[in-house]
Amino acid sequence: MQPLEAKIADPAKRSMLLTALYIAQEQYGYLTKEAIERVATRLGLPVADVYSMASFYSLYRLQPTGRYVLQVCEGLSCHLVGGADRLVDYLRKKLGIEVGETTPDGLFTLQTVQCLASCGTSPAMRVNDALYENMTAEKVDELLDTLRGYHV
Amino acid sequence: MAMVNLTINGQKVSAPAGSTVLQAARLANIDIPTLCDHPALAPIGACRMCLVEVKGQRTLQPACTFPIAEGMEVQTESQPVTDARKFVLDLLFAERNHYCMYCEMSGDCELQALGYRYGIDHWVYPTYTKRFPVDASRKYFLMDHNRCILCRRCVRACSELVANHTLGVRQRGAASMIQADMDVPFGQSTCVSCGTCLQVCPTGALVDKRSAFMGRDIQTQHIQSTCAQCSIGCGMEIVTRDGNVLRIEGDWNAPVNAGLLCQKGRFDPLYDARPRITKPLVRKNGVLKEVDWDTAVQIVVQALKDTNAKDWGVLTTTYATNEALYLLDKLFRQELGVTNVGLLNDVAPKMVEKANGSLADVNNSDIILLVGANPASEQPVASFFIKRALNKGARLIVVDDQENGLAAFASMNLGMAEVEKAIEFAQRATNPVVLYGAGVTSEAARALQKLSGKAAFVALEPGVNTRAAAALGLNSGFDPSASKALYVLLGEQNWNGELVKKDAFVIVQASYQSPLTERADVVLPMAIWAERTGTVTNTEGRIQKVNKAVEPKGEAKPDWEILSLLASKMGKKIGTSLDEVSAHAAQAIHPS
Repeated sequence: MQPLEAKIADPAKRSMLLTALYIAQEQYGYLTKEAIERVATRLGLPVADVYSMASFYSLYRLQPTGRYVLQVCEGLSCHLVGGADRLVDYLRKKLGIEVGETTPDGLFTLQTVQCLASCGTSPAMRVNDALYENMTAEKVDELLDTLRGYHV
Repeated sequence: MAMVNLTINGQKVSAPAGSTVLQAARLANIDIPTLCDHPALAPIGACRMCLVEVKGQRTLQPACTFPIAEGMEVQTESQPVTDARKFVLDLLFAERNHYCMYCEMSGDCELQALGYRYGIDHWVYPTYTKRFPVDASRKYFLMDHNRCILCRRCVRACSELVANHTLGVRQRGAASMIQADMDVPFGQSTCVSCGTCLQVCPTGALVDKRSAFMGRDIQTQHIQSTCAQCSIGCGMEIVTRDGNVLRIEGDWNAPVNAGLLCQKGRFDPLYDARPRITKPLVRKNGVLKEVDWDTAVQIVVQALKDTNAKDWGVLTTTYATNEALYLLDKLFRQELGVTNVGLLNDVAPKMVEKANGSLADVNNSDIILLVGANPASEQPVASFFIKRALNKGARLIVVDDQENGLAAFASMNLGMAEVEKAIEFAQRATNPVVLYGAGVTSEAARALQKLSGKAAFVALEPGVNTRAAAALGLNSGFDPSASKALYVLLGEQNWNGELVKKDAFVIVQASYQSPLTERADVVLPMAIWAERTGTVTNTEGRIQKVNKAVEPKGEAKPDWEILSLLASKMGKKIGTSLDEVSAHAAQAIHPS
């Protein structure tokens, strides 16, 4: 069979790509053009390849998000316990944005996700990397106030 | 090589071990349909058109990636197989907007042909009503995403063959789109407009702007020839219809380039808008007047008889054929004894006694020294070879005092004075290659001698047929101010004619109008690249055929024919038939 000519010389570098993108995303907030170019240069990979990869996985963000990304679980358990829809609706009204949007002050982005692996404490949501369990409207109010409080 | 025996559709077939089912089937002339597969590209098994039934396998397998094994039994057109292919086609036709009747490729489209083959006569699934974008931001070709089937041939050609890595796929699933770099318009991307993607696209997604809707393939002629826009000598096919050149395609079977071409070879020659010279012109009372060939030749012959050899100057383009260069050398230098003879471009210095390398060596090298040459703009296809080698792990050291188009790809950029450093690295390598051009200084050339026997030396000659011109001794040095009469084989090139004496008698053999032809006393109309038959010598010394695809415009004649005519009118018997001249030229270029 024909050898894969386009195989980049060092496969180890290619295998670092996902982690490198994740680190870059943490540093930049989202994968900016500069972030992608930096990853490509550091790993010796074509920019087009790195961009392809970044756009393939939904956990990489190519658009800016708010300071806090609110991910509400709409997995089965959270749904059955009556949380997901109510929680999302509550957040939509409270923040005045639709799912996928960011508040004008750049503080909050609302997203829905499938299963946060917290079925026992559903409904669950995540703020950036922190998990919040057994959520209610009151707890959401409290949470948002706390997060806003950091920015007074 | 060990052979493996299997049966395909009950027919006994044997193929070399390691072959895929598709390769084995092709050896036995059994047709398995494909879409994403292309002979020049590594298979990826993406489109599922080549699914076949392999006995013992739980599911249908893609023939393009499935390796053969002893005793394997394969069915390529059984009911489950054709059902699966129909299903794949139904899905492909449901994605994007495949309305064949409006498509440039209708009649030449691989997807459409398979639709006919498997009786796809209606849409099984709801199709998009959405229009997908058309990106026409590139000068020479456009990308119509409505016709794209995401086979990724273009993406693979861009990375595997050209090593340019401009194209990729963004998103996934139904949102997948072919994109350039970080999703920028193609015209603003790192695309080098080599057109290889255009040549591998199976549908009408990538369309050549100039030849679009100018005719189906069956209405055209393909004339095999050799590109004469640089010294690489890529094999190409000139596609014509009714005496007009529609486009140029790379010849997949060509020994030098294996299908690749570049912007200079594929597109630029077709966009030349300079006005042609179609009739011989002679200056009478200060004005250039159209005359017939006999009159023009008579005047040239008279001038040659009237002026001393030492007062003549001869200057030639290297865009000329071996035959023309040979006749020019024979007539002026050897028969008439003219010594003031030169080329319109430089020549790479003689580096080793016998240039032992070929461009193919680049592919297997572990270190490449690029010395005083800029293939990225001068010989783009050679730069593709270099970048391909880099993908495989080779390292590039650029030694140049000028700006170099491959500097960004080099692991080291050195000045000409630091050549020793590059030599040290090459000495430690296993398969070093030295690619050198006219920019090599004599000190650097001497230093590089140390690598003779170790490295493969390949010249990247400036110009086109420079290797032949140099072998014939046409670069002996030229001083325009020293001549009272001048013969310029200008061809398709331009020359500003600086230092030509005001009262010098100037004869120009040219294809296009230019300041020099305006100033000339006699202008002989010359055929261009597509209008001539002959041979050219590439930078490796390979002599290759150039074939006429269309008739010369007006009364223009091929370069060598004009010189042959002059010679015979002067009573010199130096070859009249093309075959005879070609044989003499080959002998003179490569003395045996």
